[in-house]
Amino acid sequence: MAKSPNTLLQIPSEDAFPSSTRIPSIYNPLDTFALPKGDQKHYTQQFADLYFLRLALLKPDIEKIAEEAWKNFELGGERAAPVERVLDVRQGELCWMVGTVYMEMSLKPNVLDDISKEHWIVAPPTREKYISSTGGDRIYLEDESGRLALTGEHLKKHLLVTGCIIATMGTENAQGEFEVVDVKVADLPRQPDRWESYDSAAILRGEKVNKKSRPKSGKVALVSGLEFKGDGSDSILLDLLTEYLLGETGTDDEPAQISRLIIAGNSLSHSAPIESREEHAARPLAKRFGHDTIAYNPVPSTALDLFLAQLLPSLPITILPGDSDPSSIAIPQQPLHPALFPHSRSYANILTQEGGEPSWFHSVTNPWEGDIDGLRFLGNGGQPINDMYKYVKGSNRLRMMEHLLRWRNNAPTAPDTLWTFPFQDNDPFIMRDCPHVFFAGNQPRFATSTIEGPVGQQVRLIAVPNFKETSSMVLLDIETMEVECVKFRVLEKKMTNGN
Amino acid sequence: MDKYKQYLAVNVVNESKIVSYRQLSRALKVHSHVAKQMLYEFHKNQNAKKANSVHATYLLTGTARTEPTESTNNTQTQDEEDSTMQSSPFPSSYPEPEPPLEFEDEDAEPAERVIPTTLVTLVKEEDLEEAKEDFDEIASIFLYSLQPGTPQDINILTESNRESLKAWRDEDPLDVYKTYGIIQNPNVKRRKGGKPPPAVAAASASVITTSKPAAKPIPAVKATPTAKEPVPLNVNHRQDSTTSVKSAGSDSKPKAAPKTAPFKREKSDLFSSFAKTKPPKPKASKEATPVEDGPMKGMSEDEGEEEDEPMVEVTKEEEEKAQAAKAERAERQKRLHDMMEDDDEDESMSEAPPVEEAVDEGSPIDKVAAEEPTETVTVDGGRRRGRRRVMKKKTTKDAEGYLVTKEEAVWESFSEEEPQSKKTKTFAPSNAKGKKPAGKPGQGNITSFFSKK
Repeated sequence: MAKSPNTLLQIPSEDAFPSSTRIPSIYNPLDTFALPKGDQKHYTQQFADLYFLRLALLKPDIEKIAEEAWKNFELGGERAAPVERVLDVRQGELCWMVGTVYMEMSLKPNVLDDISKEHWIVAPPTREKYISSTGGDRIYLEDESGRLALTGEHLKKHLLVTGCIIATMGTENAQGEFEVVDVKVADLPRQPDRWESYDSAAILRGEKVNKKSRPKSGKVALVSGLEFKGDGSDSILLDLLTEYLLGETGTDDEPAQISRLIIAGNSLSHSAPIESREEHAARPLAKRFGHDTIAYNPVPSTALDLFLAQLLPSLPITILPGDSDPSSIAIPQQPLHPALFPHSRSYANILTQEGGEPSWFHSVTNPWEGDIDGLRFLGNGGQPINDMYKYVKGSNRLRMMEHLLRWRNNAPTAPDTLWTFPFQDNDPFIMRDCPHVFFAGNQPRFATSTIEGPVGQQVRLIAVPNFKETSSMVLLDIETMEVECVKFRVLEKKMTNGN
Repeated sequence: MDKYKQYLAVNVVNESKIVSYRQLSRALKVHSHVAKQMLYEFHKNQNAKKANSVHATYLLTGTARTEPTESTNNTQTQDEEDSTMQSSPFPSSYPEPEPPLEFEDEDAEPAERVIPTTLVTLVKEEDLEEAKEDFDEIASIFLYSLQPGTPQDINILTESNRESLKAWRDEDPLDVYKTYGIIQNPNVKRRKGGKPPPAVAAASASVITTSKPAAKPIPAVKATPTAKEPVPLNVNHRQDSTTSVKSAGSDSKPKAAPKTAPFKREKSDLFSSFAKTKPPKPKASKEATPVEDGPMKGMSEDEGEEEDEPMVEVTKEEEEKAQAAKAERAERQKRLHDMMEDDDEDESMSEAPPVEEAVDEGSPIDKVAAEEPTETVTVDGGRRRGRRRVMKKKTTKDAEGYLVTKEEAVWESFSEEEPQSKKTKTFAPSNAKGKKPAGKPGQGNITSFFSKK
């Protein structure tokens, strides 16, 4: 095939164009965030268990880290000593302890306020940030015994949100506040080697592991925020995306390298099952009995279905729900139901199927974890990051993503300001394994970086931009861990769609 | 090989449609790259004959020019971390305890050095040179679509793309994708069965707004048979339909039908183009039934699928069949339309009012009415008068002070316009159709009952 860009600006050639073949994707999803089904799922539990579990799970590791760092620490001739409980801290003693951070912010939504005000005033629109400009916010450290206010200049260096577990060293001052000298977090957990789970599964099956004959991996495409409307306002860019992924937009082999597409949330625009407060107020009140057919609009999901059905014959797809998708509203959001995809679902396993190969078209939870070509992927539709954004200064999404990993928590602000399933005896949000790739969907712009852990773990962070706004797709080369961006654009004189 | 010239001439030049390379490749079953070349060739030739007669949009793919702004990054590289760590009072496990002020800046997102970016740009032909400036290297450039004039909004292409999508929905992508040059994937797994219900396709079709430029009525075009052109009606068919509808067909009818047919043809053309946006009724009902009847095994509480009909293998013949089916659908639509028109004719023909009474006698509700002989109705110059019995609610307070509601039959006289006269007339000749004869004669009474309350 000629490499010249003008190959296609010729008279129709008789010689056939070779068709390329896509690189296979070795896929092993994990169901870490799957909720129990049917009768097993209850919402009556208290959320307190979640905090308790979180602390119990992470405390031993953090204590070890704190012990190592601070056991020989001296300040003014005094040695730091560990304190078991927050309430055991004595004034003037240099000590360290482990607890859960709680941010008291006057602008943070408060359920008690909501209840007391509900009947009187229209609630203000949700805030972009919870941080108050006057600086009235306070940070507490709490455990099952009680809570202690934290203070000190050092604290400002750290990014903290409600629900993250930290170890802090310092002394209690005369005002009864804890002057922080240093802070430690759990840091990245153990990172499985590449192919580890794949190999161990092979060994369990009694096969020999041949490390030499690994297939060469391709690229994974990440996209989020497609926001299908299906009413004609869907842009031509979505068509271009389809055509690019199918390899119709060029003579180069680049799209054939893409072995899997991950859609990280918000594939549909405005089809969340629960309307927001504003939407509810705006909707004309019409009393209807029975099923309200007006509230249901099948058009967006049909458009999405057709989009997927075009891609699936050529490309395996993993789709995560997002906050605008018709899934549960509380995280972990459960997979989008196959009934939404009448055309695409023939590429998915039937729901009742147990075991076997994972679906070609795989509708998964949000957050989601799984192995692609031996690499552990962890990602979410962006809600944990977007919620965390409200707690912290600035807009550096990668910094927030990094902190999630270092706190070993997928969603620290749940259940405080992020809707969550009330887990009772397990907190799946605690990271057991460090991923190789951590992505967050629906971010305002594309960003990527690599972070390193204490024992050489390397994690590729990817903030996947919203397609509707940025019309960008991210490509991750699995072999090199290099990231590329594909940008779709319609150039018009007025530049309405460009950039 | 010259089929494409004809196709493009018909669609772009004559019918003023937008034709993209995908449409062309699907229509002619050629590799999409070849279709792009065909567009190019046609564009060149047409504009050589007559300048600016055909307008093109181009799609450029290539490496984006690296913008200088992207180089100002503050990446979280290891080196930078080290330098900031030294400034912090105590060694921290955080690798990036940068001064918090740095993150106040909205642009603090660290972009990694320069990320290689592939740019895919769609552009009108007049902006082509401008678009090229954004590329470092252009990997490919081709004609995306042809249209008769500069499109106002380039997004209008979405419409035509979706329209064409409809046309090849019946194809099995696993078979035909290779023809179009789409990247093949040998590992694809698809369940047996699970052909989507066509009802859905029809529903989605209804979504598509038909905002394509109005086709100029050029007689020459109409003559050339294309896939979308409604097949000229078979007169036999028409007769069948008309005669079958008339169960009590009078002898004069079959003669009348062919007479009206040519007159209706122009109309039905319009109608069928309109009908495309509507799910064709007979088809939907016909095809939906097997789906419903399909085995629903393995239905779990959160299972919403399982149309395990045997999958239809799409071969070339079947594709042709699909084409034929489409033509047939259009025809059926037309027949349906004719049927309805015939009804109208009936109406105008059987204007004689006495028929009404005669037939009404036979319907079951009338028998009920007959059992109440005291109910009298006289029709007088379009008004109905008489006495009738109606049920009235009566609420009284009983001895214990409770409110008791009783329904009582009460006689009342009435006088009203006759709203039913027309409908009953149309029903008169065709008893077979009368799906809901019940309540027909009584309906006027019921409405008046409510209006009086």
